Amino acid sequence: MTAAPILELRDVTRRFGGLRAVKNVSLTMNEGEILFIIGPNGAGKTTVFNLISGFLHPNEGIILFQNQDISRMPPHRSARLGIGRTFQIVKPLRGLTVLQNVMLGAFMHTRNLQKAVEESKKILDFLQMSHLSKFLASGLPLAALKRLEIARALATKPKLVLLDEVVSGLTTSEALALAALIKRLPEWGVSVVGGVEHVMQVVMKIADRVIVLDYGAKIAEGVPADVVKMPEVIEAYLGPKFRELTQ
Amino acid sequence: MSLIKNWKFWALVIAALIWARMPWFVSNNYQLQVLFRITLFAALGLAWDLVGGYAGQLSLGHAAFFGVGAYGLALFTQLSIPVWISLFLAAVVATLVAAVIGIISFRLRGPYFALATIAFGEVLRLVATNLNVTGGAIGLTMPSLFTGRTFWRQFYLASVALVVLAFLINFLVSRSRFGYYLMAIREDEDTASAVGINTPRCKLQSLLLSAFITALGGALYASAFQFIVPDSVLTLDISIQVSIIAMLGGAGTLLGPIIGSALLLGSQEVFKNQFQESHLLIYGVLIVIVVLFMPEGIVGGLQQLFRKRAKSPSASAQPATSGAAQ
Repeated sequence: MTAAPILELRDVTRRFGGLRAVKNVSLTMNEGEILFIIGPNGAGKTTVFNLISGFLHPNEGIILFQNQDISRMPPHRSARLGIGRTFQIVKPLRGLTVLQNVMLGAFMHTRNLQKAVEESKKILDFLQMSHLSKFLASGLPLAALKRLEIARALATKPKLVLLDEVVSGLTTSEALALAALIKRLPEWGVSVVGGVEHVMQVVMKIADRVIVLDYGAKIAEGVPADVVKMPEVIEAYLGPKFRELTQ
Repeated sequence: MSLIKNWKFWALVIAALIWARMPWFVSNNYQLQVLFRITLFAALGLAWDLVGGYAGQLSLGHAAFFGVGAYGLALFTQLSIPVWISLFLAAVVATLVAAVIGIISFRLRGPYFALATIAFGEVLRLVATNLNVTGGAIGLTMPSLFTGRTFWRQFYLASVALVVLAFLINFLVSRSRFGYYLMAIREDEDTASAVGINTPRCKLQSLLLSAFITALGGALYASAFQFIVPDSVLTLDISIQVSIIAMLGGAGTLLGPIIGSALLLGSQEVFKNQFQESHLLIYGVLIVIVVLFMPEGIVGGLQQLFRKRAKSPSASAQPATSGAAQ
Protein backbone atom coordinates (compact mmCIF):
# COMPACT_ATOMS: atom_id res chain seq x y z
CA MET A 1 0.00 0.00 0.00
CA THR A 2 2.66 2.46 -0.98
CA ALA A 3 1.42 3.53 -4.41
CA ALA A 4 -0.69 6.61 -5.14
CA PRO A 5 -4.43 6.24 -4.75
CA ILE A 6 -6.10 4.89 -7.88
CA LEU A 7 -9.57 5.79 -6.74
CA GLU A 8 -10.85 8.38 -4.35
CA LEU A 9 -14.40 9.26 -3.30
CA ARG A 10 -14.82 12.55 -1.46
CA ASP A 11 -18.05 13.05 0.46
CA VAL A 12 -20.15 11.46 -2.23
CA THR A 13 -23.91 11.66 -1.85
CA ARG A 14 -26.54 10.29 -4.17
CA ARG A 15 -30.25 10.82 -3.69
CA PHE A 16 -33.19 9.07 -5.29
CA GLY A 17 -36.08 11.42 -4.63
CA GLY A 18 -36.23 11.73 -0.86
CA LEU A 19 -34.02 8.73 -0.21
CA ARG A 20 -30.34 9.26 0.31
CA ALA A 21 -28.98 5.98 -1.02
CA VAL A 22 -25.38 7.01 -0.46
CA LYS A 23 -24.52 9.52 2.28
CA ASN A 24 -21.23 11.40 2.40
CA VAL A 25 -19.14 8.38 1.60
CA SER A 26 -15.40 8.92 1.30
CA LEU A 27 -12.89 6.28 0.48
CA THR A 28 -9.41 5.94 -0.90
CA MET A 29 -8.08 2.97 -2.73
CA ASN A 30 -4.51 2.07 -3.57
CA GLU A 31 -3.20 0.43 -6.65
CA GLY A 32 -3.15 -3.36 -6.57
CA GLU A 33 -5.44 -3.47 -3.58
CA ILE A 34 -8.43 -5.74 -3.13
CA LEU A 35 -11.08 -3.75 -1.32
CA PHE A 36 -14.47 -5.12 -0.41
CA ILE A 37 -17.53 -3.07 0.29
CA ILE A 38 -19.88 -5.01 2.49
CA GLY A 39 -23.20 -4.22 4.02
CA PRO A 40 -26.69 -5.60 4.43
CA ASN A 41 -29.22 -5.63 1.63
CA GLY A 42 -30.06 -2.05 0.58
CA ALA A 43 -26.95 -0.53 2.16
CA GLY A 44 -26.03 1.27 -1.08
CA LYS A 45 -23.30 -0.99 -2.43
CA THR A 46 -24.66 -1.20 -5.95
CA THR A 47 -25.28 2.55 -5.99
CA VAL A 48 -21.62 3.11 -5.11
CA PHE A 49 -20.60 0.86 -8.01
CA ASN A 50 -22.94 2.66 -10.38
CA LEU A 51 -21.48 5.98 -9.27
CA ILE A 52 -17.89 4.90 -9.82
CA SER A 53 -18.61 3.37 -13.23
CA GLY A 54 -20.62 6.37 -14.45
CA PHE A 55 -24.03 4.72 -14.68
CA LEU A 56 -25.14 7.21 -12.02
CA HIS A 57 -23.69 10.58 -11.09
CA PRO A 58 -23.34 11.93 -7.55
CA ASN A 59 -25.53 14.77 -6.31
CA GLU A 60 -22.72 15.96 -4.10
CA GLY A 61 -19.05 15.20 -3.76
CA ILE A 62 -16.51 14.11 -6.34
CA ILE A 63 -14.99 10.90 -7.58
CA LEU A 64 -11.36 10.87 -8.67
CA PHE A 65 -9.84 8.11 -10.74
CA GLN A 66 -6.07 8.46 -11.00
CA ASN A 67 -6.49 12.07 -9.93
CA GLN A 68 -8.98 12.79 -12.72
CA ASP A 69 -12.49 13.90 -11.85
CA ILE A 70 -14.88 11.33 -13.27
CA SER A 71 -18.00 12.38 -11.37
CA ARG A 72 -19.96 13.35 -14.49
CA MET A 73 -18.43 10.95 -16.99
CA PRO A 74 -20.72 8.67 -19.07
CA PRO A 75 -20.10 4.94 -18.54
CA HIS A 76 -18.40 4.24 -21.85
CA ARG A 77 -15.81 6.90 -21.15
CA SER A 78 -15.10 5.58 -17.65
CA ALA A 79 -14.67 2.16 -19.22
CA ARG A 80 -12.15 3.58 -21.67
CA LEU A 81 -10.23 5.20 -18.81
CA GLY A 82 -9.80 1.78 -17.27
CA ILE A 83 -12.75 1.04 -15.04
CA GLY A 84 -14.20 -2.38 -15.74
CA ARG A 85 -17.31 -3.64 -14.03
CA THR A 86 -19.58 -6.61 -13.59
CA PHE A 87 -23.28 -6.44 -12.90
CA GLN A 88 -24.96 -7.83 -9.81
CA ILE A 89 -27.79 -9.15 -11.94
CA VAL A 90 -25.65 -10.68 -14.65
CA LYS A 91 -26.01 -9.00 -18.02
CA PRO A 92 -24.51 -11.35 -20.55
CA LEU A 93 -24.96 -10.76 -24.27
CA ARG A 94 -27.27 -13.77 -24.46
CA GLY A 95 -27.44 -14.20 -28.19
CA LEU A 96 -23.66 -14.28 -28.52
CA THR A 97 -21.22 -17.02 -27.63
CA VAL A 98 -19.01 -16.91 -24.55
CA LEU A 99 -16.00 -16.11 -26.72
CA GLN A 100 -17.84 -13.29 -28.49
CA ASN A 101 -18.91 -11.85 -25.13
CA VAL A 102 -15.30 -11.61 -24.05
CA MET A 103 -14.21 -10.32 -27.46
CA LEU A 104 -16.45 -7.31 -26.95
CA GLY A 105 -14.30 -6.40 -24.00
CA ALA A 106 -11.14 -6.91 -26.02
CA PHE A 107 -12.45 -4.68 -28.83
CA MET A 108 -11.82 -1.71 -26.59
CA HIS A 109 -8.16 -2.02 -27.53
CA THR A 110 -8.16 -3.57 -30.95
CA ARG A 111 -10.13 -3.42 -34.15
CA ASN A 112 -8.66 -6.71 -35.30
CA LEU A 113 -10.97 -9.69 -34.85
CA GLN A 114 -8.15 -12.22 -34.71
CA LYS A 115 -6.35 -10.28 -32.01
CA ALA A 116 -9.56 -9.99 -30.02
CA VAL A 117 -10.02 -13.77 -30.26
CA GLU A 118 -6.49 -14.45 -29.03
CA GLU A 119 -6.73 -12.10 -26.08
CA SER A 120 -10.15 -13.43 -25.14
CA LYS A 121 -8.88 -17.00 -25.20
CA LYS A 122 -6.13 -16.10 -22.73
CA ILE A 123 -8.66 -14.61 -20.38
CA LEU A 124 -11.04 -17.55 -20.72
CA ASP A 125 -8.10 -19.84 -19.92
CA PHE A 126 -7.36 -17.86 -16.78
CA LEU A 127 -10.98 -18.11 -15.68
CA GLN A 128 -10.99 -21.81 -16.52
CA MET A 129 -13.86 -21.60 -18.93
CA SER A 130 -12.21 -22.16 -22.32
CA HIS A 131 -14.28 -25.28 -22.82
CA LEU A 132 -17.41 -23.11 -22.83
CA SER A 133 -16.19 -20.60 -25.39
CA LYS A 134 -18.42 -21.76 -28.22
CA PHE A 135 -21.67 -21.95 -26.25
CA LEU A 136 -24.26 -19.23 -26.34
CA ALA A 137 -24.26 -17.22 -23.14
CA SER A 138 -28.02 -17.79 -22.83
CA GLY A 139 -27.47 -21.48 -21.99
CA LEU A 140 -24.97 -21.04 -19.17
CA PRO A 141 -25.60 -21.68 -15.48
CA LEU A 142 -25.16 -18.82 -13.01
CA ALA A 143 -21.67 -19.78 -11.89
CA ALA A 144 -20.41 -19.57 -15.45
CA LEU A 145 -22.24 -16.31 -16.07
CA LYS A 146 -20.59 -14.72 -13.04
CA ARG A 147 -17.23 -15.72 -14.46
CA LEU A 148 -18.21 -14.44 -17.86
CA GLU A 149 -18.90 -11.04 -16.31
CA ILE A 150 -15.37 -10.99 -14.93
CA ALA A 151 -13.89 -12.23 -18.20
CA ARG A 152 -15.57 -9.50 -20.20
CA ALA A 153 -14.47 -6.82 -17.75
CA LEU A 154 -10.91 -8.16 -17.68
CA ALA A 155 -10.71 -8.14 -21.48
CA THR A 156 -11.00 -4.37 -21.48
CA LYS A 157 -7.61 -4.36 -19.69
CA PRO A 158 -8.93 -2.28 -16.81
CA LYS A 159 -6.86 -0.73 -14.06
CA LEU A 160 -9.73 -1.15 -11.68
CA VAL A 161 -12.53 -3.70 -11.72
CA LEU A 162 -15.76 -3.39 -9.80
CA LEU A 163 -17.19 -6.77 -8.92
CA ASP A 164 -20.74 -6.25 -7.76
CA GLU A 165 -22.02 -9.27 -5.80
CA VAL A 166 -19.87 -11.51 -7.88
CA VAL A 167 -20.22 -14.53 -5.61
CA SER A 168 -23.83 -14.14 -4.54
CA GLY A 169 -26.13 -16.95 -5.54
CA LEU A 170 -23.29 -19.42 -5.84
CA THR A 171 -22.78 -22.52 -3.77
CA THR A 172 -19.99 -22.35 -1.22
CA SER A 173 -17.61 -24.40 -3.34
CA GLU A 174 -18.34 -22.33 -6.43
CA ALA A 175 -17.86 -19.12 -4.46
CA LEU A 176 -14.54 -20.23 -2.99
CA ALA A 177 -13.26 -21.33 -6.38
CA LEU A 178 -14.15 -17.94 -7.82
CA ALA A 179 -12.60 -16.16 -4.83
CA ALA A 180 -9.32 -17.91 -5.53
CA LEU A 181 -9.38 -16.45 -9.03
CA ILE A 182 -10.31 -12.98 -7.81
CA LYS A 183 -7.34 -13.04 -5.47
CA ARG A 184 -5.14 -13.51 -8.52
CA LEU A 185 -6.61 -10.54 -10.42
CA PRO A 186 -3.83 -8.15 -9.31
CA GLU A 187 -1.51 -10.32 -11.45
CA TRP A 188 -3.30 -8.73 -14.41
CA GLY A 189 -2.42 -5.29 -13.12
CA VAL A 190 -5.85 -4.51 -11.78
CA SER A 191 -7.11 -3.28 -8.47
CA VAL A 192 -10.37 -4.77 -7.30
CA VAL A 193 -13.39 -3.34 -5.56
CA GLY A 194 -15.74 -6.11 -4.61
CA GLY A 195 -19.18 -5.83 -3.15
CA VAL A 196 -20.63 -8.57 -1.03
CA GLU A 197 -23.67 -8.82 1.14
CA HIS A 198 -23.03 -11.82 3.31
CA VAL A 199 -20.55 -14.29 1.85
CA MET A 200 -18.06 -13.39 4.57
CA GLN A 201 -15.97 -16.47 3.99
CA VAL A 202 -14.88 -15.02 0.67
CA VAL A 203 -14.26 -11.56 2.06
CA MET A 204 -12.13 -12.86 4.94
CA LYS A 205 -10.02 -14.88 2.54
CA ILE A 206 -9.21 -12.36 -0.14
CA ALA A 207 -9.88 -8.78 0.95
CA ASP A 208 -6.97 -6.53 1.92
CA ARG A 209 -9.38 -4.05 3.38
CA VAL A 210 -13.10 -3.85 4.03
CA ILE A 211 -15.52 -0.94 4.07
CA VAL A 212 -18.90 -1.42 5.71
CA LEU A 213 -21.93 0.48 4.52
CA ASP A 214 -25.23 0.69 6.33
CA TYR A 215 -28.18 2.78 5.13
CA GLY A 216 -25.87 4.48 2.66
CA ALA A 217 -23.29 5.63 5.20
CA LYS A 218 -19.83 4.28 5.87
CA ILE A 219 -19.86 2.84 9.37
CA ALA A 220 -16.57 0.99 9.52
CA GLU A 221 -13.32 0.41 7.71
CA GLY A 222 -10.32 -1.79 8.28
CA VAL A 223 -8.77 -5.19 7.74
CA PRO A 224 -11.39 -7.96 7.57
CA ALA A 225 -10.49 -9.61 10.85
CA ASP A 226 -10.97 -6.37 12.79
CA VAL A 227 -14.05 -5.21 10.99
CA VAL A 228 -16.13 -8.27 11.76
CA LYS A 229 -15.58 -7.69 15.46
CA MET A 230 -16.67 -4.07 15.46
CA PRO A 231 -19.90 -3.52 17.41
CA GLU A 232 -21.34 -1.17 14.76
CA VAL A 233 -20.94 -3.83 12.12
CA ILE A 234 -22.52 -6.51 14.22
CA GLU A 235 -25.40 -4.20 14.94
CA ALA A 236 -25.89 -3.42 11.26
CA TYR A 237 -26.11 -7.06 10.40
CA LEU A 238 -27.78 -8.58 13.44
CA GLY A 239 -29.55 -5.73 15.25
CA PRO A 240 -28.86 -3.77 18.45
CA LYS A 241 -29.46 -6.76 20.72
CA PHE A 242 -26.33 -8.46 19.43
CA ARG A 243 -24.30 -5.31 19.85
CA GLU A 244 -24.87 -5.52 23.58
CA LEU A 245 -23.81 -9.11 23.62
CA THR A 246 -20.39 -8.20 22.26
CA GLN A 247 -19.69 -5.61 24.92
CA MET B 1 -7.27 -14.16 -49.17
CA SER B 2 -9.39 -16.98 -47.84
CA LEU B 3 -12.36 -15.46 -49.65
CA ILE B 4 -11.25 -16.92 -52.98
CA LYS B 5 -11.23 -20.41 -51.51
CA ASN B 6 -14.52 -20.04 -49.70
CA TRP B 7 -17.34 -21.94 -51.44
CA LYS B 8 -19.96 -19.72 -49.82
CA PHE B 9 -18.46 -16.69 -51.50
CA TRP B 10 -18.61 -18.31 -54.94
CA ALA B 11 -22.13 -19.60 -54.32
CA LEU B 12 -23.20 -16.01 -53.61
CA VAL B 13 -21.45 -14.67 -56.70
CA ILE B 14 -23.22 -17.26 -58.85
CA ALA B 15 -26.54 -16.52 -57.15
CA ALA B 16 -26.08 -12.81 -57.85
CA LEU B 17 -25.27 -13.49 -61.51
CA ILE B 18 -28.34 -15.71 -61.94
CA TRP B 19 -30.40 -13.06 -60.19
CA ALA B 20 -29.14 -10.39 -62.55
CA ARG B 21 -29.95 -12.70 -65.50
CA MET B 22 -33.57 -13.22 -64.45
CA PRO B 23 -35.00 -10.85 -67.11
CA TRP B 24 -33.94 -13.36 -69.76
CA PHE B 25 -36.16 -15.99 -68.19
CA VAL B 26 -39.34 -14.01 -67.71
CA SER B 27 -41.62 -13.14 -70.53
CA ASN B 28 -43.33 -9.86 -69.73
CA ASN B 29 -43.02 -6.57 -67.98
CA TYR B 30 -45.49 -7.52 -65.26
CA GLN B 31 -43.29 -10.37 -64.08
CA LEU B 32 -40.26 -8.17 -64.36
CA GLN B 33 -41.98 -5.56 -62.25
CA VAL B 34 -42.70 -8.15 -59.56
CA LEU B 35 -39.07 -9.22 -59.59
CA PHE B 36 -38.01 -5.59 -59.38
CA ARG B 37 -40.12 -5.06 -56.29
CA ILE B 38 -38.89 -8.23 -54.63
CA THR B 39 -35.29 -7.27 -55.30
CA LEU B 40 -35.71 -3.69 -54.23
CA PHE B 41 -37.44 -4.62 -50.99
CA ALA B 42 -34.75 -7.20 -50.32
CA ALA B 43 -32.26 -4.32 -50.42
CA LEU B 44 -34.50 -2.24 -48.15
CA GLY B 45 -34.83 -5.17 -45.76
CA LEU B 46 -31.05 -5.51 -45.63
CA ALA B 47 -30.68 -1.80 -44.94
CA TRP B 48 -33.32 -1.95 -42.20
CA ASP B 49 -31.55 -4.95 -40.71
CA LEU B 50 -28.53 -2.83 -39.75
CA VAL B 51 -30.69 -0.87 -37.32
CA GLY B 52 -33.49 -3.32 -36.56
CA GLY B 53 -31.56 -6.57 -36.74
CA TYR B 54 -27.94 -6.01 -35.79
CA ALA B 55 -28.44 -3.06 -33.45
CA GLY B 56 -31.85 -4.37 -32.36
CA GLN B 57 -33.56 -0.98 -32.55
CA LEU B 58 -37.06 -1.55 -33.91
CA SER B 59 -37.47 1.26 -36.41
CA LEU B 60 -40.96 1.66 -37.82
CA GLY B 61 -40.12 4.88 -39.58
CA HIS B 62 -38.04 3.80 -42.52
CA ALA B 63 -40.72 5.17 -44.88
CA ALA B 64 -39.32 8.57 -43.91
CA PHE B 65 -35.98 7.81 -45.60
CA PHE B 66 -37.68 6.00 -48.47
CA GLY B 67 -39.95 8.99 -49.07
CA VAL B 68 -37.25 11.63 -48.65
CA GLY B 69 -35.19 9.74 -51.23
CA ALA B 70 -38.12 9.74 -53.66
CA TYR B 71 -39.12 13.35 -53.11
CA GLY B 72 -35.49 14.42 -53.10
CA LEU B 73 -34.91 12.93 -56.53
CA ALA B 74 -38.01 14.64 -57.92
CA LEU B 75 -37.20 18.04 -56.40
CA PHE B 76 -33.50 18.12 -57.20
CA THR B 77 -34.16 17.29 -60.85
CA GLN B 78 -36.69 20.13 -60.94
CA LEU B 79 -33.74 22.40 -60.16
CA SER B 80 -32.27 20.96 -63.39
CA ILE B 81 -29.60 18.99 -61.57
CA PRO B 82 -28.72 15.82 -63.54
CA VAL B 83 -30.72 12.80 -62.36
CA TRP B 84 -27.83 10.72 -61.12
CA ILE B 85 -26.43 13.57 -59.06
CA SER B 86 -29.97 14.25 -57.78
CA LEU B 87 -30.22 10.62 -56.74
CA PHE B 88 -27.05 10.95 -54.70
CA LEU B 89 -28.11 14.29 -53.20
CA ALA B 90 -31.51 12.85 -52.26
CA ALA B 91 -29.77 10.05 -50.37
CA VAL B 92 -27.54 12.57 -48.60
CA VAL B 93 -30.57 14.62 -47.53
CA ALA B 94 -32.27 11.47 -46.25
CA THR B 95 -29.14 10.73 -44.22
CA LEU B 96 -29.31 14.18 -42.68
CA VAL B 97 -32.98 13.62 -41.87
CA ALA B 98 -31.95 10.32 -40.26
CA ALA B 99 -29.41 12.18 -38.14
CA VAL B 100 -32.11 14.46 -36.77
CA ILE B 101 -34.55 11.61 -36.18
CA GLY B 102 -31.83 9.43 -34.66
CA ILE B 103 -30.40 12.00 -32.27
CA ILE B 104 -33.86 12.59 -30.86
CA SER B 105 -35.35 9.07 -30.93
CA PHE B 106 -32.32 7.11 -29.73
CA ARG B 107 -32.73 8.73 -26.35
CA LEU B 108 -35.64 6.32 -26.02
CA ARG B 109 -35.36 2.59 -25.64
CA GLY B 110 -37.49 -0.34 -26.74
CA PRO B 111 -41.10 0.28 -27.73
CA TYR B 112 -40.75 4.01 -27.07
CA PHE B 113 -38.14 4.22 -29.76
CA ALA B 114 -40.43 2.36 -32.19
CA LEU B 115 -43.27 4.78 -31.43
CA ALA B 116 -41.02 7.79 -31.94
CA THR B 117 -39.97 6.54 -35.36
CA ILE B 118 -43.60 6.00 -36.37
CA ALA B 119 -44.30 9.57 -35.30
CA PHE B 120 -41.46 11.00 -37.38
CA GLY B 121 -42.58 9.04 -40.44
CA GLU B 122 -46.11 10.35 -40.06
CA VAL B 123 -44.92 13.91 -39.51
CA LEU B 124 -43.03 13.80 -42.80
CA ARG B 125 -46.08 12.38 -44.57
CA LEU B 126 -48.22 15.25 -43.28
CA VAL B 127 -45.59 17.79 -44.22
CA ALA B 128 -45.43 16.42 -47.77
CA THR B 129 -49.22 16.43 -47.98
CA ASN B 130 -49.44 20.07 -46.99
CA LEU B 131 -46.51 21.76 -48.69
CA ASN B 132 -46.73 23.30 -52.13
CA VAL B 133 -43.20 22.34 -53.13
CA THR B 134 -44.02 18.67 -52.77
CA GLY B 135 -47.24 19.04 -54.74
CA GLY B 136 -49.40 18.35 -51.69
CA ALA B 137 -51.72 15.41 -51.91
CA ILE B 138 -51.60 15.57 -55.73
CA GLY B 139 -47.96 14.57 -55.70
CA LEU B 140 -45.14 14.95 -58.18
CA THR B 141 -44.11 13.33 -61.41
CA MET B 142 -40.78 11.59 -61.21
CA PRO B 143 -37.89 11.82 -63.61
CA SER B 144 -37.03 8.42 -64.98
CA LEU B 145 -33.53 7.15 -64.28
CA PHE B 146 -33.80 4.95 -67.34
CA THR B 147 -35.63 5.44 -70.59
CA GLY B 148 -36.18 3.47 -73.74
CA ARG B 149 -38.07 0.28 -74.52
CA THR B 150 -36.13 -1.94 -72.13
CA PHE B 151 -36.34 0.44 -69.18
CA TRP B 152 -37.92 -2.17 -66.88
CA ARG B 153 -34.97 -4.42 -67.46
CA GLN B 154 -32.63 -1.58 -66.52
CA PHE B 155 -34.58 -0.75 -63.41
CA TYR B 156 -34.43 -4.38 -62.49
CA LEU B 157 -30.65 -4.46 -62.94
CA ALA B 158 -30.33 -1.31 -60.85
CA SER B 159 -32.28 -2.99 -58.05
CA VAL B 160 -29.96 -6.00 -58.25
CA ALA B 161 -27.01 -3.63 -57.97
CA LEU B 162 -28.61 -2.09 -54.89
CA VAL B 163 -29.14 -5.47 -53.29
CA VAL B 164 -25.52 -6.38 -53.93
CA LEU B 165 -24.41 -3.09 -52.39
CA ALA B 166 -26.64 -3.56 -49.35
CA PHE B 167 -25.50 -7.15 -48.94
CA LEU B 168 -21.83 -6.15 -49.11
CA ILE B 169 -22.35 -3.45 -46.51
CA ASN B 170 -24.08 -5.88 -44.16
CA PHE B 171 -21.42 -8.50 -44.78
CA LEU B 172 -18.61 -6.11 -43.96
CA VAL B 173 -20.43 -4.77 -40.91
CA SER B 174 -21.16 -8.25 -39.59
CA ARG B 175 -17.47 -9.13 -39.82
CA SER B 176 -16.22 -5.96 -38.17
CA ARG B 177 -15.84 -4.55 -34.71
CA PHE B 178 -18.64 -2.14 -35.51
CA GLY B 179 -20.94 -5.10 -36.19
CA TYR B 180 -20.04 -6.62 -32.84
CA TYR B 181 -20.74 -3.30 -31.18
CA LEU B 182 -24.21 -3.22 -32.73
CA MET B 183 -24.93 -6.76 -31.58
CA ALA B 184 -23.75 -5.90 -28.07
CA ILE B 185 -26.16 -2.97 -28.02
CA ARG B 186 -28.97 -5.28 -29.13
CA GLU B 187 -28.22 -7.83 -26.44
CA ASP B 188 -27.72 -5.42 -23.55
CA GLU B 189 -27.12 -1.73 -23.79
CA ASP B 190 -25.72 -1.40 -20.25
CA THR B 191 -23.17 -4.11 -20.86
CA ALA B 192 -22.26 -2.45 -24.13
CA SER B 193 -21.44 0.82 -22.39
CA ALA B 194 -19.60 -1.05 -19.64
CA VAL B 195 -17.13 -2.28 -22.26
CA GLY B 196 -16.57 1.23 -23.54
CA ILE B 197 -19.04 1.38 -26.41
CA ASN B 198 -20.49 4.80 -27.11
CA THR B 199 -23.95 3.35 -27.63
CA PRO B 200 -25.80 6.49 -28.83
CA ARG B 201 -23.14 7.11 -31.46
CA CYS B 202 -23.07 3.52 -32.72
CA LYS B 203 -26.85 3.38 -33.02
CA LEU B 204 -26.81 6.65 -34.93
CA GLN B 205 -24.09 5.45 -37.30
CA SER B 206 -26.09 2.34 -38.12
CA LEU B 207 -29.17 4.45 -38.78
CA LEU B 208 -27.29 6.81 -41.11
CA LEU B 209 -25.93 3.93 -43.17
CA SER B 210 -29.36 2.34 -43.27
CA ALA B 211 -31.09 5.58 -44.26
CA PHE B 212 -28.68 6.19 -47.12
CA ILE B 213 -29.44 2.83 -48.76
CA THR B 214 -33.15 3.12 -48.00
CA ALA B 215 -33.26 6.52 -49.71
CA LEU B 216 -31.52 5.14 -52.80
CA GLY B 217 -34.15 2.39 -52.86
CA GLY B 218 -36.99 4.87 -52.44
CA ALA B 219 -35.75 7.05 -55.26
CA LEU B 220 -35.28 4.05 -57.54
CA TYR B 221 -38.72 2.71 -56.74
CA ALA B 222 -40.48 6.03 -57.28
CA SER B 223 -38.56 6.68 -60.46
CA ALA B 224 -39.70 3.35 -61.89
CA PHE B 225 -43.35 4.20 -61.30
CA GLN B 226 -42.80 7.79 -62.43
CA PHE B 227 -45.23 9.35 -60.01
CA ILE B 228 -45.39 9.88 -56.24
CA VAL B 229 -47.91 10.99 -53.69
CA PRO B 230 -47.32 11.14 -49.92
CA ASP B 231 -49.52 8.10 -49.40
CA SER B 232 -47.45 5.97 -51.76
CA VAL B 233 -43.93 6.64 -50.50
CA LEU B 234 -44.24 8.11 -47.01
CA THR B 235 -46.80 5.69 -45.67
CA LEU B 236 -46.50 3.59 -42.54
CA ASP B 237 -47.24 0.56 -44.73
CA ILE B 238 -43.76 0.78 -46.22
CA SER B 239 -42.09 1.03 -42.82
CA ILE B 240 -43.98 -2.01 -41.62
CA GLN B 241 -43.44 -4.00 -44.78
CA VAL B 242 -39.69 -3.43 -44.68
CA SER B 243 -39.43 -4.47 -41.06
CA ILE B 244 -41.63 -7.54 -41.54
CA ILE B 245 -39.51 -8.63 -44.50
CA ALA B 246 -36.39 -8.55 -42.35
CA MET B 247 -37.98 -10.17 -39.31
CA LEU B 248 -39.74 -12.87 -41.28
CA GLY B 249 -36.58 -13.83 -43.10
CA GLY B 250 -34.46 -13.51 -39.98
CA ALA B 251 -33.38 -10.23 -38.41
CA GLY B 252 -29.66 -9.93 -37.88
CA THR B 253 -28.83 -12.52 -40.54
CA LEU B 254 -27.27 -11.82 -43.91
CA LEU B 255 -29.67 -13.81 -46.07
CA GLY B 256 -32.81 -13.28 -43.99
CA PRO B 257 -34.09 -10.08 -45.59
CA ILE B 258 -33.56 -11.46 -49.09
CA ILE B 259 -35.50 -14.62 -48.32
CA GLY B 260 -38.12 -12.61 -46.45
CA SER B 261 -38.70 -10.34 -49.42
CA ALA B 262 -38.98 -13.22 -51.90
CA LEU B 263 -41.40 -15.07 -49.64
CA LEU B 264 -43.54 -12.15 -48.57
CA LEU B 265 -43.82 -10.21 -51.80
CA GLY B 266 -43.75 -13.34 -53.95
CA SER B 267 -46.60 -15.00 -52.06
CA GLN B 268 -48.49 -11.71 -51.95
CA GLU B 269 -48.34 -11.56 -55.73
CA VAL B 270 -49.30 -15.19 -56.28
CA PHE B 271 -52.19 -15.11 -53.84
CA LYS B 272 -53.40 -11.77 -55.16
CA ASN B 273 -53.86 -13.34 -58.57
CA GLN B 274 -55.44 -16.49 -57.17
CA PHE B 275 -57.70 -15.22 -54.46
CA GLN B 276 -58.18 -11.51 -55.13
CA GLU B 277 -58.97 -9.68 -51.91
CA SER B 278 -58.73 -12.72 -49.67
CA HIS B 279 -55.00 -12.85 -50.37
CA LEU B 280 -54.46 -10.71 -47.29
CA LEU B 281 -55.82 -13.53 -45.17
CA ILE B 282 -53.26 -15.98 -46.48
CA TYR B 283 -50.55 -13.38 -46.16
CA GLY B 284 -51.56 -12.90 -42.52
CA VAL B 285 -51.64 -16.62 -41.81
CA LEU B 286 -48.15 -16.95 -43.27
CA ILE B 287 -46.82 -14.31 -40.90
CA VAL B 288 -48.53 -15.94 -37.93
CA ILE B 289 -47.03 -19.33 -38.79
CA VAL B 290 -43.52 -17.96 -39.00
CA VAL B 291 -43.89 -15.93 -35.81
CA LEU B 292 -45.25 -18.96 -33.95
CA PHE B 293 -42.81 -21.57 -35.11
CA MET B 294 -39.76 -19.54 -36.04
CA PRO B 295 -39.68 -16.43 -33.86
CA GLU B 296 -36.12 -15.80 -35.00
CA GLY B 297 -37.26 -15.71 -38.62
CA ILE B 298 -36.66 -18.32 -41.25
CA VAL B 299 -32.90 -18.04 -41.52
CA GLY B 300 -32.51 -17.42 -37.78
CA GLY B 301 -34.66 -20.45 -37.03
CA LEU B 302 -32.67 -22.72 -39.31
CA GLN B 303 -29.40 -21.47 -37.84
CA GLN B 304 -30.65 -22.26 -34.36
CA LEU B 305 -31.71 -25.72 -35.43
CA PHE B 306 -28.25 -26.47 -36.80
CA ARG B 307 -26.52 -24.93 -33.84
CA LYS B 308 -28.55 -27.07 -31.45
CA ARG B 309 -27.61 -30.18 -33.37
CA ALA B 310 -23.96 -29.22 -33.43
CA LYS B 311 -23.43 -28.31 -29.81
CA SER B 312 -26.08 -28.56 -27.21
CA PRO B 313 -25.01 -26.89 -23.98
CA SER B 314 -26.36 -29.59 -21.71
CA ALA B 315 -24.16 -32.03 -19.83
CA SER B 316 -20.88 -30.64 -21.10
CA ALA B 317 -21.78 -27.09 -20.11
CA GLN B 318 -20.92 -27.46 -16.44
CA PRO B 319 -18.56 -24.68 -15.54
CA ALA B 320 -15.12 -25.60 -14.36
CA THR B 321 -15.91 -24.79 -10.77
CA SER B 322 -14.57 -28.06 -9.44
CA GLY B 323 -11.37 -27.58 -11.39
CA ALA B 324 -11.03 -24.05 -10.13
CA ALA B 325 -10.76 -24.97 -6.49
CA GLN B 326 -7.03 -24.96 -6.19
